[in-house]
Amino acid sequence: MQWSFPMIVIVVVLGLLGIGFYGLLIVRNLIKVVVALQVLAKGAMLALVLAGELAGQIYIGDSMAITLIVADTIVAVIGLALAVQVRRHIGSLDIGHLSKLRR
Amino acid sequence: MMFASPFLWLMMIPLAGFPLIYLIGRAGKRLGASKASISFWMALLALLVMVLPLYQLGGQVLAGQMPVLRLNAITLRMDGVGLLLSGTVLALAIAVTLFSYRYVGSEEGEEKYYALLLAMSGVIIGLGCAADLFNLWVWFEAMAVTSYLLVAFYRNQPGALEAGVKYVIQSACGSVLVVLGIALVFTHSRSLGLLQIPAKIAMPAPLVLVAGVFFVVGFGVKSALVPLHTWLPDAHSQAPSGISAMLSGVVIEAGLVALLRSLGVLSGLGAPIATLLLIFAVLNMLVGNLMALRQTQIKRLLAFSSVSHIGYMLLGLAAALGFGAASGAGGSFFHILTHALMKGLAFLSAGLLLYCLRIAAGSHEPLTVDDLAGAARRYPLAAFAFSVAVLGLGGLPPLAGFMSKWQIFVGGFQTQSPLLQWLVVFAALNSVLSLGYYAPLVNRIYRKQPSDIVLAGKAAPFTMNLVLLVLSAAVVVLGFAPGLVNALTESAAVSLLSAFGL
Amino acid sequence: MIETLILLTIALPWLGALVVWRVGDDRPTVQNAVAVGFALASGVAALGMLPLAKPGTALSFAVGGAFGDFTFVADGLGVFLAVVATVVGSLAVIFSVDYMRGEAQLGRYYALVLFFIGAMAGLVLSSNLLLVFVFWEITALCSYALISFNNDDPKAVAGGIKALIMTQLGGIGLLAGALLVYAHTGSYDINVFMQQAHTLPAALLTVMAFGFLIAAAAKSAQFPFQTWLPDAMEAPTPISALIHAATMVNAGVYLLARFYPAFEAVPGWRTAVVVVGLLSAFLSAIMALVATDLKRVLAYSTVSQLGYMVYAIGAGGVFASQFHLLSHSVFKALLFLGAGAVIHAAGTRDMRQMGALGKHMPFVRNVFIIGALALAGIPILNGFWSKELVLEAGLAHGPLWAYLVMLIGAGLTACYTLRCVWMVFFGAPATHHHVHDAGKAMRIALAPLAFGVLTTWLLAGAFGHLLAETLPFHEMEAETTLSVIEEVVTAPATLVALAVVGLGLLAWWQRGVLKGLLYALRAVARLAEDSFGFEAVNRGVVRWTQSVAEALRPTQTGILSWNVLGILAALIVVALILVLGA
Repeated sequence: MQWSFPMIVIVVVLGLLGIGFYGLLIVRNLIKVVVALQVLAKGAMLALVLAGELAGQIYIGDSMAITLIVADTIVAVIGLALAVQVRRHIGSLDIGHLSKLRR
Repeated sequence: MMFASPFLWLMMIPLAGFPLIYLIGRAGKRLGASKASISFWMALLALLVMVLPLYQLGGQVLAGQMPVLRLNAITLRMDGVGLLLSGTVLALAIAVTLFSYRYVGSEEGEEKYYALLLAMSGVIIGLGCAADLFNLWVWFEAMAVTSYLLVAFYRNQPGALEAGVKYVIQSACGSVLVVLGIALVFTHSRSLGLLQIPAKIAMPAPLVLVAGVFFVVGFGVKSALVPLHTWLPDAHSQAPSGISAMLSGVVIEAGLVALLRSLGVLSGLGAPIATLLLIFAVLNMLVGNLMALRQTQIKRLLAFSSVSHIGYMLLGLAAALGFGAASGAGGSFFHILTHALMKGLAFLSAGLLLYCLRIAAGSHEPLTVDDLAGAARRYPLAAFAFSVAVLGLGGLPPLAGFMSKWQIFVGGFQTQSPLLQWLVVFAALNSVLSLGYYAPLVNRIYRKQPSDIVLAGKAAPFTMNLVLLVLSAAVVVLGFAPGLVNALTESAAVSLLSAFGL
Repeated sequence: MIETLILLTIALPWLGALVVWRVGDDRPTVQNAVAVGFALASGVAALGMLPLAKPGTALSFAVGGAFGDFTFVADGLGVFLAVVATVVGSLAVIFSVDYMRGEAQLGRYYALVLFFIGAMAGLVLSSNLLLVFVFWEITALCSYALISFNNDDPKAVAGGIKALIMTQLGGIGLLAGALLVYAHTGSYDINVFMQQAHTLPAALLTVMAFGFLIAAAAKSAQFPFQTWLPDAMEAPTPISALIHAATMVNAGVYLLARFYPAFEAVPGWRTAVVVVGLLSAFLSAIMALVATDLKRVLAYSTVSQLGYMVYAIGAGGVFASQFHLLSHSVFKALLFLGAGAVIHAAGTRDMRQMGALGKHMPFVRNVFIIGALALAGIPILNGFWSKELVLEAGLAHGPLWAYLVMLIGAGLTACYTLRCVWMVFFGAPATHHHVHDAGKAMRIALAPLAFGVLTTWLLAGAFGHLLAETLPFHEMEAETTLSVIEEVVTAPATLVALAVVGLGLLAWWQRGVLKGLLYALRAVARLAEDSFGFEAVNRGVVRWTQSVAEALRPTQTGILSWNVLGILAALIVVALILVLGA
């Protein structure tokens, strides 16, 4: 079986998504959770670029990807800012300690 | 020409205004003008001014036109759905801003609050009017970002931080899924325009099916479809009360609108979508109500009730999309409007009590059911408003919630499908169940013997009372004269159905 | 003219509710005056409609959309019940002036009572099913809020919520019926529906007929929903008289009577109605026989008498049922208000704590006995004539077994009524309170009702005429009062019924002799005290719902990883559904 370029990218996208979700499920450090989220988003970004490629409209795909990077960075910044506050006021970055609100 | 466009005004005021408010508010603080709360007045003014262009646009939309705004690559198009969402968000934002005057007046970071509130209103209007799929996502993401910051507004409170973290992570997951869906649709149709895509999709297409899955789950996180709702009770209960009102009243509904817009692109999928919406409707109503039944914190209880109300909206929408019953869609849009009013009223009146009993005393403890006891003695208006809100949410006439639920039920019965008719009966049973937790609140609030905490409470500020009075009046008036907003909800329903080619 | 009167009847009490609410609780005298004034004005407006009653739509507001036109009708049935609601309402408000003196939150009390009076008038005067449902639910809302008026008492709160939930549950039947009609005919108008009823699919009519029966049973506290009414007795007594005896609980009977012509041909419906009425009438009569709480006895007796009305409709006696409704409203309001005066004076509701109160409060004793004799069915009081008409209708058109059971029920009624009067006013004094007779406002409210018990039966002819003239879909013959009297007096069934009533009275008189029999029936009595197991069912449902809710709560783990897992799980399930569906 011939490995075409899109298929390789798809595998990478799926890999990034898998790693990202896996990270979200098992990682306990809040900083690492944010990193896992970033991995997820990078998978989506790659998918956008690939979509532009496959649709024959590379510029649109790229501009979407760039927009995604911006949005994603903002989310990461907010996530990290929250992490700083969490460390300061709760005293731990372990998300296991972030489970007071339940039931 | 540029200055003549009301649409441009409607978008420019909030989007150009919010950084200004932040900067000027910041500068004002530096200069020591702390009590003037200049950011409050600027935000209120901006929101009030926005009413004018929206009114103009509304006239055009109701007359059957579709006003369009083009800024480079961004196209905004206001249809009935966009108008309904814009009107709802603007009305609620004005109420919330006025309410917050005292509520956040003593907090540090007040200018951030008003700037973000205005920004949130602007981006939700943008979301309602987005004309292409990627733009829809960008507005959606912008709305999410503003709400992240507002949920974690009390940034030194552990509860708010925990809620903020969960909200950010879960929302961002959903957002990634939406992007994947967009990539799939773009690959398949080589287009992003909401109006253009359907013609370019050749059904059945497995790729599009997967995109549908991504859209439902991705936007479903924001619109709190069970089991994606887990962030909601935390975020709604920990945010400042005004923000809880906005989140519950318009943000999750905006998520629903985004979901509908994206599914409209995939209308070729047909019946399975309606089935899916029905499944979520049942889950949302049942889980939301049962979870609310045993809550002891008022705001958490109201948050779970929002989960169940999304279920009602889904029921009407499914009746419309699966069976072409226009009343179902009209009813759901009507319910979006009345739910915003009622849930806004509920959160704001609970907020008044929370402010007077706790926050004014420097406490961030939650407001519990026990605190309500006898509150009517000291806070008669808040007690009345809260009762109107929760009884309206429970679907009792002559309050607005009854009429919107009724219209949804009419849609369900008009399908002539026994399944839908049974589901309407199920929804009605759920309404009765919801009275099981609403009614005791009303009983408690009207006790003759006030609790100690009520006796020690602060007097209710005038601005808060004013907001509650106006919103209560709106809930009662719409309960007596549901026809007042027929034009609005019908035009939204027509827009939705035409997007689905029905 | 009649349009204005309809609006006035509904709007005046509502306006009064607003005014009395704004007056403020620091001015009780003004509140009393406002409440009485608006209630009376609405009563006058309703009475003014009597000579003007006519069939067909009288008033219409276009609402549009899925809400149709809000239409009102002023036919005999509607006007008659509006009169009952506003007149008895006025008397209850007048009675409250004494009864509620010194209570806190008087404004809320009067506002809710006036809101109720307007809604009840609206319920019977509207001819749009959506509007009927709206008013139906508003009366339930007021009933709930007034039962639990004393919110500090957990029993009152529980009773109010129970009443609300149970009537709402039944209300779903009405909701479904109304929605079915709209989905099929595109109109909510009752008259349009009645015209087209025979052209609608049989299945639809069946669903509607039984849906309405469920709604009516819940509202009128009929089997199997009868349990909420006794618990509703936590309400202030004028409320029990007004809402839970004279007006709101009649709404179910009204609904059945209104739609009888459309549903009578539905297979099994009439039998079902007869059975519901019969079980309610018989079982509650037994419960009334063993209850010791004065208001509960009256509540059981209300369920029982409403059972007679429902039974009459099932047997085709619409006129008899409505006539009994009129008599019952008057004598039961009298009994409740009289009981209120007794409770107000004695400070307890337990009949075992009373006894020999008659000589301390002769006025109340006298009017209470008038009401009790009417309830027992003693000639020539109004209850006698209407009950005879009900029984005759049952004998003529209903099944014989049902008639026999209802006949025994009449005997039981006489027995428990006598027991109640004896325990309260005669017998040995149990405690020595400083008992005083009723106050002035109470007397003003009680006297007209007592007069009504003595005289309303004379209206039989005019009442039949009113109904026959203005109800085009009901087949009724107008008779004069004389012919009604002649019919009742000459019927052999009357003698039989009177004999049974006499037996019932005798049974109480000779209760010492019957001790052995009572001992043998003690199992039944114990069952009756527990309302034949229905309370246990209610409690079970509530407990089950709560435990399910509690069991669901751990699903909100509060742990981020589980929340994300929820998203993944939803992704998979949604994918499966869409793939399988496509």
